[in-house]
Amino acid sequence: MSDELVQIETPFTFNEKNQREFDELIERYPIKEAAMLPTLHIAQRQAGYITPAVMKYVAEQLEVTVMKVKDVVTFYPMFFEEPVGEYVIRVCHTLPCALRDCKVVLDHLKAKLETDIASETNLAKGTTADGKFTLMKVECLASCDVAPVIMINDDLYKNLTPEKVDEILETLAG
Amino acid sequence: MVEEKRILYEHLDVPDINTFDVFRQYDGYKRFEKAIAEYQPDDIAKMVMDSGLKGRGGAGFSTGLKWSFVPRDIKPCYLCCNADESEPGTFSNRYVLEKNPHLLIEGILICCYAMGIETTYVYIRGEFTLGKRMLDAAIKEAYEKGYLGKDVRGTGLNIDIYTHPGAGAYICGEETGLIESLEGKRGQPRNKPPFPAVEGVFMKPTVVQNVETLCNLPFIVGNGVEWYTKMGPTYADTRNDPPTPDPNTGTKLYCISGDVNEPGVYELELGLTCSELIEVAGGLRGEEVKAVIPGGSSAPILTHYELDTRLDFTSLTLAKSMLGSGGIIVMNETRNIVDCLLNIMKFYAHESCGQCTPCRWGTPWVRDIVQRIADGGGRPDTITRPKFGVTESGRWGDTGETEEIYEDLDLLESVANNIANVDTMTWNTICVFGIAVSWPAVSYMRKFRPEFEAAIREGKLVTLPVAEATVPPEENYAYQQRFIPKEFADL
Ligand SMILES: Cc1cc2nc3c(=O)[nH]c(=O)nc-3n(C[C@H](O)[C@H](O)[C@H](O)COP(=O)(O)O)c2cc1C
Ligand code: SF4
Repeated sequence: MSDELVQIETPFTFNEKNQREFDELIERYPIKEAAMLPTLHIAQRQAGYITPAVMKYVAEQLEVTVMKVKDVVTFYPMFFEEPVGEYVIRVCHTLPCALRDCKVVLDHLKAKLETDIASETNLAKGTTADGKFTLMKVECLASCDVAPVIMINDDLYKNLTPEKVDEILETLAG
Repeated sequence: MVEEKRILYEHLDVPDINTFDVFRQYDGYKRFEKAIAEYQPDDIAKMVMDSGLKGRGGAGFSTGLKWSFVPRDIKPCYLCCNADESEPGTFSNRYVLEKNPHLLIEGILICCYAMGIETTYVYIRGEFTLGKRMLDAAIKEAYEKGYLGKDVRGTGLNIDIYTHPGAGAYICGEETGLIESLEGKRGQPRNKPPFPAVEGVFMKPTVVQNVETLCNLPFIVGNGVEWYTKMGPTYADTRNDPPTPDPNTGTKLYCISGDVNEPGVYELELGLTCSELIEVAGGLRGEEVKAVIPGGSSAPILTHYELDTRLDFTSLTLAKSMLGSGGIIVMNETRNIVDCLLNIMKFYAHESCGQCTPCRWGTPWVRDIVQRIADGGGRPDTITRPKFGVTESGRWGDTGETEEIYEDLDLLESVANNIANVDTMTWNTICVFGIAVSWPAVSYMRKFRPEFEAAIREGKLVTLPVAEATVPPEENYAYQQRFIPKEFADL
């Protein structure tokens, strides 16, 4: 029964490059389970988000139960269980950024992208209709000297103003 | 004005310092070579003990002492480098990782040599993608040059360093949470004891050390203990007879943000005052300092009465606050303290790992009370309760009088104190996240009570002038420790 449920989705396997990365990774730890977070990062990079099929595959690779993988995925905010946009925009809203008007940046992004802010249980709420952007609030990004900051995928953008946000969005859209 | 004293950050801005060759030109790895050529492992451990180095990650625990708890006969022993920098207001580790990763590797090598460690995991927070890339590249180079791997530089030492990415959870910065997370589980802290030094990752002895702490090691070995202890004040702890030295040695990477003109990381000798630091950071942006958070958002707040407090481990503990991670957040007269507390409580309510009931339920409850007050819905009923203050004996305690307090403020204090009691310093939780919640909640409320009261009375946020918003030290229980007879004096 449970097998059938998982089968509804396309099964997941690492592509060649990621398989090599994974093989290297697993050597580093005395127990396989310890490779959980880096493995999930690789899997998410390949699949876009953590589907049940991904969890099943990771569980097999690390020789743990699927439940254990799910347990971890639900704990960490950086793992998504729903599709997200091509660009994930993380807006810091903790005190040092708040003291430097991160709210202006956030409101501007909301208006510009015509979307709401994603919540951890509802990522679709913060994703634009064309699936290009997902807007979310995050806690301190450890860059308080250049506040307000946002992170778009892997890149940090500093000392933001609405004008700078416009420029960044234009570059990404173009 | 106090001069910057760049040691860890001295070569940070040298172009290409992240490459082996350039790092080598600036004494890179020479201190490690000195360590293996001139000293036995135990000598290094003793030097670190004598240097008085205290952990820079938050707890401020003596590094040498921590190393002495590690049993030498159980192998393997692991080193976990804590690069999970997530405490709001802290951003010094990031620059080390991004710009000078070889310095960290050298620090790790020295620690590994001293402790007989073969495997190190650097737990880097998931958002530090650039930092991880830079460190990975540096590690690769160090392997190629023979400073890592099997038989390091022909000494017979085997040392491996691996980076391990986190995934956005603040609590993985707590050392046992970090260990759980490293083992591939939810980052939920463990009960202590056993301490990680005895039973840590993979149930083996583990040294957990912050990036900045490890970066101090090359300089202690390279320049000697005497040179190192000249920096920063050493106090005499007169609670012991004869008084024992209480070192606050070395420099600190102070991260200053908020309402200052030039926010950033400033490396200074420990022990300068709060107002001196604000001056170093280009002065206040605004008219007047309203409040300063001295050690990351978990630290109790300081008022404008306390700007002469020295920013070192001992002085801040005596001021009933803490140096913590060294993240200083300055607020000027336009800031509303209720609003600031709300922001911080939202952070903690989001980050509780959920293991302990007082923390899991108490933290959102505190947030909800502050939210209610900020939204103008604070409950205007008052209750009468015993008043604390200076008693006839000249000590703090129950004065026998009573005071009127808004029900919501009493509730706020009581919920926070039931997560972790800031007066008795006892907590009902597994880790000290609990105290990191109740410390700000209670200290903001006690020290800036007029602003909380105004918000309840007026039904909306009211920003009072600094003098009116702050409760003077004589009247306030939160300043308590300042009135305990001075137990520490300058040596
Ligand atoms: C809730 C919480 C969060 C913490 N976050 C960090 C952190 O982000 N980085 C860090 O180095 N230490 C952090 N610590 C402190 C660690 O538990 C530990 O004391 C430290 O890594 C030890 O290294 P040190 O002795 O070199 O400071 C945190 C502690 C607590 C209770
Ligand atoms: S105090 Fe909070 S964060 Fe710490 S273990 Fe308990 S629930 Fe988790």
